[in-house]
Amino acid sequence: MKKLLTILLVAILALGLAACSNETSGSGEGSEVDVSRVRLVIGSTSTGGDTYQNADTISRYLEDPLGTNIKVDAVGAVRAFQELGKAKNDGSTLMFFHDMAYLGVEYGSIQENNKLENWTIGPVVSINPGNAFLAKGDAPYDTMTESAEWLKDNPDETITVAIESGGVSEITFDGYYLWVKEKYGTEVSDRIKAYVTGSQEDKNQALWDGNADIINGSIGGNNEYTKEGVEDDIKMKFLGITAGERVEGYDIPTFAEQGIKVDGKEFVFDKEFFFLMPKDVEEDFASKLDEAVAEVEENPDYAKDLAKNAYITNYVPADEAIAYLLEKRETFQNIIKNAPSLDKITN
Amino acid sequence: MDIFEILSPLSVLLCFIGVFIGIIFGAIPGMTATMAIALFLPITYSLDMVDAIALLIGLYVGGISGGLVPAVLLNIPGTPSSLCTTFDGYPMTQKGEGEKALKIGITASIVGGFFSLTVLYFFAPVLASVAIKFSSVEKFLIIVFALTVIASISKGSLLGGIFSGFIGVYLSLIGMFADNNQLRLIPPGFEEELAYGFSLLPVLIGLFAIAQILQESEEGMKASPHQTFDFKKEKKNRFTFKIFNGQIINTIRSSMIGTFIGMLPGVGGSAASISSYSQAKNFSKHPEKLGTGEPEGLIASESANNGLIGGALIPLLSLGIPGDSTTAVLVGALLLQGIQVGPLFIPANPDLWDGIIYALIIANIVMFLLMFFSIKHMAKIIYIPKYIIYPIIIVMCVVGSYAINNGVMFDVWTLLLFGLAGYVFMKIGIQVAPFLIGFILGKELEKYFIDSLKGSGGDLTIFFTKGPIALLLWMLIAISIIYAIMDNRRSKKAGDQTITPST
Repeated sequence: MKKLLTILLVAILALGLAACSNETSGSGEGSEVDVSRVRLVIGSTSTGGDTYQNADTISRYLEDPLGTNIKVDAVGAVRAFQELGKAKNDGSTLMFFHDMAYLGVEYGSIQENNKLENWTIGPVVSINPGNAFLAKGDAPYDTMTESAEWLKDNPDETITVAIESGGVSEITFDGYYLWVKEKYGTEVSDRIKAYVTGSQEDKNQALWDGNADIINGSIGGNNEYTKEGVEDDIKMKFLGITAGERVEGYDIPTFAEQGIKVDGKEFVFDKEFFFLMPKDVEEDFASKLDEAVAEVEENPDYAKDLAKNAYITNYVPADEAIAYLLEKRETFQNIIKNAPSLDKITN
Repeated sequence: MDIFEILSPLSVLLCFIGVFIGIIFGAIPGMTATMAIALFLPITYSLDMVDAIALLIGLYVGGISGGLVPAVLLNIPGTPSSLCTTFDGYPMTQKGEGEKALKIGITASIVGGFFSLTVLYFFAPVLASVAIKFSSVEKFLIIVFALTVIASISKGSLLGGIFSGFIGVYLSLIGMFADNNQLRLIPPGFEEELAYGFSLLPVLIGLFAIAQILQESEEGMKASPHQTFDFKKEKKNRFTFKIFNGQIINTIRSSMIGTFIGMLPGVGGSAASISSYSQAKNFSKHPEKLGTGEPEGLIASESANNGLIGGALIPLLSLGIPGDSTTAVLVGALLLQGIQVGPLFIPANPDLWDGIIYALIIANIVMFLLMFFSIKHMAKIIYIPKYIIYPIIIVMCVVGSYAINNGVMFDVWTLLLFGLAGYVFMKIGIQVAPFLIGFILGKELEKYFIDSLKGSGGDLTIFFTKGPIALLLWMLIAISIIYAIMDNRRSKKAGDQTITPST
């Protein structure tokens, strides 16, 4: 027994060493940073979600040019901001998140002191174009516009949409709601209800239970339920995606294609992932990170890895990212201002 | 396909390493199977898919099983799902039957493990479609059913136990209410620390480990430098598999409850061992003995918590819905390899499906062998004098609490705060076990209650009109409560007030 344990311990040690030696070999190209280990906190607690996957992919490719180890920690939005607030300015703790970083502040799910202005915004790195809405396979409509038409033609019916409050899910629901209100008037939009719940599993279950007619979801998370051969009970169909362009390989119309507009402008929402750094982060570190990201974005293997889960590269250099994200925030601030309060439209 | 065509020697080795490390994680209070898997997740990227899954399954099985060791030997549940293991496991250790208790626990674990594995292999798709028929109404009722255990374990004072359970539920609701992102029940100044509420593990080990150490330090070292055990009994009362002779129904029933509750997405694993402990007590010929060191209770808890592994994999592999937080991390591993889990996962990935089943078989066997034959050594922990073991326990608890959310100092304060609270609880008569059961199940209780009402537009009758499953659950709840009250009266009449399975 003792012998066996010894062999096992040696094996573990050897594995550990092998892993370390792989990770520490830098490329030596001048963009290496001084910190030996970077902790990348993400705004989600899930290791199965798109934030973790995008963070994991970019950090694996960044380790080499930056000459450092990167550890992704799924700590959740509130804690990630707390950690970033306490972080040293040497770049040893960074945050990686998506548009919810500022939408959450607007909706009140993230505290005001975490607004974009209080951090150094790093480069934007990728997009999950798959933010989508789905209905049961046998629903009487195939697109979001058809659902509104159906609601108009059936004055006794309602449509309940399962969403998560305070982020991407809510803003895209708001887009749909406001468009229906503008185009068909309140007698139709008043019959759109929200079923506010948490995870993707909860939203799927709400659809299967009949508590929701439409759910917010994603290509990555829900595509498996839309395939041929799935039992009717759990079969789903996509009604539309909110991204600016269609996703290759999927026959799902965008909101814009369907003519969904808010304030006369096409409603487009791309879920973009970016870095956030402490306000006083060393300039040298910030520029090296930006350079390294630029280099990784050129690497076809990185794009290929992202494509495994239908994500796409989308590089916006750090100096442009600030203006870019602030402008995006302003656009959606208007929508949030006019959006209905969820308290009023839940059952 | 042949097992060795799918699993290479490397996969077997990785599975072995996984189980070994998993057991260590499970055995250290504060570290869990979920943590072990999350930690090894990035490494799996560089491995072949089957190798990666073998490693992760090993960690999963080892992590769930390892929780048994501190629960039995030290009265500290290593994981939330081994809470009920302490009820009878530790009294057995106190009677000098620590080694026997561990062996019973491990045997029950492997039976639970294989039971759920068999169910997973043969009935996964069918059961998964049953699982999704369980809406929030049924899930709420299952949580209520699990909560009825409070009535049967609070022997001393039934009302006191229920009150303790309510305090547990109340404290579990502290934090942000996800539906409207409002903070609630948070004392001013702690908005950031308590945004997610108190973390479960620091609360759990604080109430058990730290409170116990505080209580003993009140008595002073001179009272008993070692934990007081009757060592003589060990020799004449050794472990044999015959112990299971009268326990076959209990073992199968508990494995079934574990597998079934594991299968329901969103109902945590702790509910499985709590419910099966409750049922073991209800069906027992001598319920009054449960909680005093009866193998029956130990078997119920351990076979259920290993049963939930296969159970939790059922909706994951046949529907793409993780059954618990650990399987949610497994989804991450599959996605990193570009594999989508969903309703077509099994037909689309036959090799991987076989690999998972084989890995589960190997992991269960390795877990059994590793633990069964090393138990002699593990059980020696109890011979270590308190002045050496207690500081080590405190250090482990602090490290575990700090690590549970990737380095949050507030979790260490939570540990100490609840350690102190546990000490005060003992003095003022709040029962720790019912409190914890309330705390563990409180959030789910609220969530499914509110989800049910959202679905019904606020109509409370939905809990009775939802359908036959709901009615059946109501019946089970009623039987469980009536039984507990009768049992309580009986034992009061007999003047038997000895059992309070808390510290």
